[in-house]
This record gives sequence, C-alpha cells and structure tokens, in this order.
Amino acid sequence: MALAPPPARRRRRHATGGPAWVPYAYLLPHAVLFVVFIVYPVAFGVYVSLHRWNILSDVQRYVGLEFYARLVTPGTPQFAFFWKTMGNTALFTAITVPALLLSALGLALLLDRPIPGRAFFRAVFFLPTILAVSVMGLTWRWMFENQTGLVNILLDLIPFTQAMPFLTNVGWAWVPIVVGTIWWTVGFNMILYGAALAAIPRVYYEAAMIDGAGAWAQFRHITWPQLNPVTLFALVTTTIASFQLFGQPHVITSGGPLRTTQSVMMFITEEAFSNFQFASAAAMSVFFGLLLLLVTGLQFRMTLRDLGRGVR
Amino acid sequence: MIGSAPVRPPVAAGVDAPTAYRRPAMRAWRDVLRFALLCVLALLFLMPIYWMIATSLKTEAAAVAQPVQWWPHEPTLENYRTILASPNAPFLRWTWNSLFTSTAFAGLSVLLAVLTAYPLSRMRFRGRDTWFWAILSSMMIPGVIFLIPHYLMMIRFDWIDTYHALIWPGLPAAFGVFLMRQFFVSIPREVEEAARIDGANSLQILVFVLLPFLTAPMATLALFQFMASWNNYVWPLFVVHGEMQTLPVAITSFSSRYWTAYGKLMAGTAIASLPILIAFLFTQRYFIRGMSLTGLKDE
Repeated sequence: MALAPPPARRRRRHATGGPAWVPYAYLLPHAVLFVVFIVYPVAFGVYVSLHRWNILSDVQRYVGLEFYARLVTPGTPQFAFFWKTMGNTALFTAITVPALLLSALGLALLLDRPIPGRAFFRAVFFLPTILAVSVMGLTWRWMFENQTGLVNILLDLIPFTQAMPFLTNVGWAWVPIVVGTIWWTVGFNMILYGAALAAIPRVYYEAAMIDGAGAWAQFRHITWPQLNPVTLFALVTTTIASFQLFGQPHVITSGGPLRTTQSVMMFITEEAFSNFQFASAAAMSVFFGLLLLLVTGLQFRMTLRDLGRGVR
Repeated sequence: MIGSAPVRPPVAAGVDAPTAYRRPAMRAWRDVLRFALLCVLALLFLMPIYWMIATSLKTEAAAVAQPVQWWPHEPTLENYRTILASPNAPFLRWTWNSLFTSTAFAGLSVLLAVLTAYPLSRMRFRGRDTWFWAILSSMMIPGVIFLIPHYLMMIRFDWIDTYHALIWPGLPAAFGVFLMRQFFVSIPREVEEAARIDGANSLQILVFVLLPFLTAPMATLALFQFMASWNNYVWPLFVVHGEMQTLPVAITSFSSRYWTAYGKLMAGTAIASLPILIAFLFTQRYFIRGMSLTGLKDE
C-alpha cells in the first residue's frame, strides 16, 4: 500500500520527458567511462600497491603494506628518495605559490584602470600559459644556458653581476625552473584577479576617498578584503598544481644536479617506468595522493559554494 | 570641493585636502609610469618567445656567437629544413597525432558533458542527486592516483602506442559535466514548455531548444579541453613512443638528440608552438573571457 507511488507523481514524471528510463540512457555513456576510468582505477591502484607487481607475470604476490612501510622506514632507498623529492617539491611550492599570487595581483592591478593598449598587455601576459610545458622548458633552458644563454649574456653586461652556471649548480638550478614557471602560469591568476577587481563596486572607493583614504589605505581596507575569495581559490589551485610539479624540471634540468630539482612526481614515474617497481610507485601515488587530498578537499568545498551560488 | 574634504578628520596618516586637490595631475603622472612599467614587463614577457624565433633563424655558429647577435644577421630557414627532412623526427606525423587526439578529446568531452549534464539539470529521476555528487566528488581525487593504474590498464587493453590511450582515460573528468550543468540550470524552464506541448521528445528539446543557448559555453569547454589535451605531458610521455608521440612530448625526446644544437631545438619548439600561437591570436578574447567565466584552470 505504502509502496505504490501516488499517481499524480507518476504523471508529473511522465510530463518532464517521456518514459522513466530516458534520463538513465543519457547518463549511460559517461557512466560507463566513469566506472572504467575513475572508480575502478582508484581501487585497482590500491590493489597494485598491496602486491609485488610484475607486469610480465599472471600471478601477483600479496605483500600487504610492505611498500607503504618502506616509505616510513629510514634506510630504504624509497624512503630516502621519496622524502628528498618531497622536500624539493615543497620548496618549489613554498617559493612559487606566493610569487605567483603576488605577481598575478600586481599585473591585475596595473591593468585594472583603463590605459592605452590594455587588451594587448593582457594578451601578452596571458600568452605563455597556452604553450606546452616542453616548449616553455626548452626555451628557458636555452635562456639560462650556462655559457651562451641570454640571461648569462645580460648578467655579463650588467655591472656588478656575473654569469652563473645556473643549470648545473645546486640551488641555482631552481632559478630557471621558478622563473620559467612564473612566466608560464602567472596569466591564469592574473585573469582571475582581473575579473575580481572589476567586480568591486566603485562606490566603495568613492566613499573611502571622501573619508580621505590614500591609495594604500584603499588597497588595504577595500581591495584586499574584497579579493579574499579569489585569493583563497588561487592559493588552493596553485598549490595543487605546484605539488604536481613534473614537466618544468623534467625538461629544464632533468631533476639535476644530484636530484636537487627532482619532484615527487618525477620520482614516482622513475620508480614505475625506469625501475619497473609498479607496486612501489602505486603505493607512493596513494600516499602522496592522500596528502594532496587535504588541499583538493578545500577546493571541493569552494566548488560546492560556487554551485550553491550558481543554482539557487 | 576643497572645503568638503577637511570636514572629517583624515583616516589615514598623511592624507589631507591638498592630496585631493592635486589628484588629476598626479593621476596623469601615475598613468604614464604605469604605462612605462607595462611596456617593460611586456618586453620581458615577449623576450623568450622572440629569442626562440631569433635563434631558430640563425646557423648553429651564429646562435652561440660571441659577441651575441641580438637579431639574426644572416637569417636562414636551414634549421627548419633540416629537422623537417630528418627521417627520425617525423614532425608532420607528430603534429597530426596531436591534432587528431586533441580534437577527438575535445569533441567527445563536450558531447559527454552535454549528454550527462542535461538529465542532471533538467529532468527528475531517482538517484539524480546521488549521481551528481558522485561525479562531483571525483574532482577531489588528485591526478597522481590514476597514473599507475591507468598505465597498467593500457597494457591490459593493448592500448600502448595507440590514439585510444590518449583519448579515453581522461574523458570522464567531472570538470565538463560540472561546467555544462551550471549553464543548463541557468536556462529558464519556460523555453522548453512550448516545445513539450507541441510533442517534442527530450532529444529534440535538447538539440533544437536548449543547445542554441549553450553554444558559447560549449565552445569555451571545447577550447579548454583541446588545450589541455594538446599540452598534456606526463601521460603521453609514457604511453606513446616513437612516431606515435604527441608534438609537445616529441620535441623533448627530439631535444635529447640535439642536446646543445639550440638553433634546431628552437626551430622544433617554434614548429610545436606555432599552431597554438596562431589559434590564440584569433581566439584570445574568447579565451580570456572563458577563463574568467569558468574561474577554473585546466589542471
């Protein structure tokens, strides 16, 4: 009795689009791919990490948490290299994320009020973002080439500076990677900041001016607080992207010298595709992925908030 | 006007009536400074691209000549000719690989996103919200999780060194579905009522009534997915090799052959970026508007 759907409801469902199976038919193609390439691989990755995986064998031996244990046991090569590359990646993130946010905000502020050629400037600063990482990497490797690179030629010309073998010098090898990354990606956040700046009501500034607030006070008390949501969004997305660093050091320094610019992603791929330790690489991916989840979870919450704004 | 400012005590230190009085002149000066700064920055931003093209037009000797040649003194297309003629660097094939797989990926992405977002936003059925949440939650999973299992699956499917490996695994990402759904829900419900009364079925309503409202977001999504696929690096680096490589990945493997022959390397990077640069020239307004519209990166 209670199970029978009320007839009124059935009629309404009918009215919004034919037979009841119709919506499911639309969902089917995506659902199949979703299960095969998203749901299954997550489970499969964990499964692989619990076995001693040999791609040439049909039977894989179960080893439990052995590969996870190695990551937290000092003395194993996995422990040494995973945490070393993790430190490299954290260093890169700590330098580039603030630099990318500040330079993006700076460019957006420069372009905020009308100026001749504004669209041109915006396009120029955005332009590098469309290039492939290999194009960007090779170009910057050439720019920073130890002897004949343009940067070193300029450093020789400028008084009180001198050429520096950037690519092969521990520590300095980060310079081409960081500079290249900022050049390559600052345009994204610049556009985000630009849109947010344009959305701040001008009356706020007019009111502040009447109250006698100077440029800095206006920025400090109006612009910056109004940009808070965008800053948070840019902070989270840029952090996620930075932690997944791969292409820039892969092309510019190959992770050298002495693995000082090797990122976690590079070490995971080395473990899998050079050492054929797929289980170990899978364990590291899961471990690293769970750490990243802390940041992507934040992004997810922000997306949900956007969703709430957009829908209702 | 001058009298109105000092009525209230200044909020910030050092700000008083004369500042307000001087403002127009100061602003003009500031605009000149701002313009000059922008010009310098634009030059810096364009420098690497200029240097890439300039180097590609020099002979190898001229590329590393001391003192430096700020522009190619004897411009030559020799580097382009050499690498395009090189039998172990099939640039045309690599370009086609990238073009085909990126186009297919973008087209299928848009199709899937539309088909999936349509019922999720404009129909009522059991499990709708649960399924939408499931798709949305997948956005949280960091990409690194998929690398190893996807690779092992490609071996199992026998898809290593095929276009399939470059197209299918990334398709069900939630981004497109999420984006299209946001635009679907913004279309007023009344527009499809009339069509329904006339007896149109759901597919006719989608194609003839709703899609005309969605051409701009569909184009934006296609553009982003094309770029994402074209510029993808980690995945194609490992699943396709030799002549099956995509152009951006191929120029790095090509670079290990010409490690310090920068004239040829820069000719290679110029060839790899030219199609995208030209496309950008024509679509950049659209592009930048799309960026602020979606507020999302392709990462």
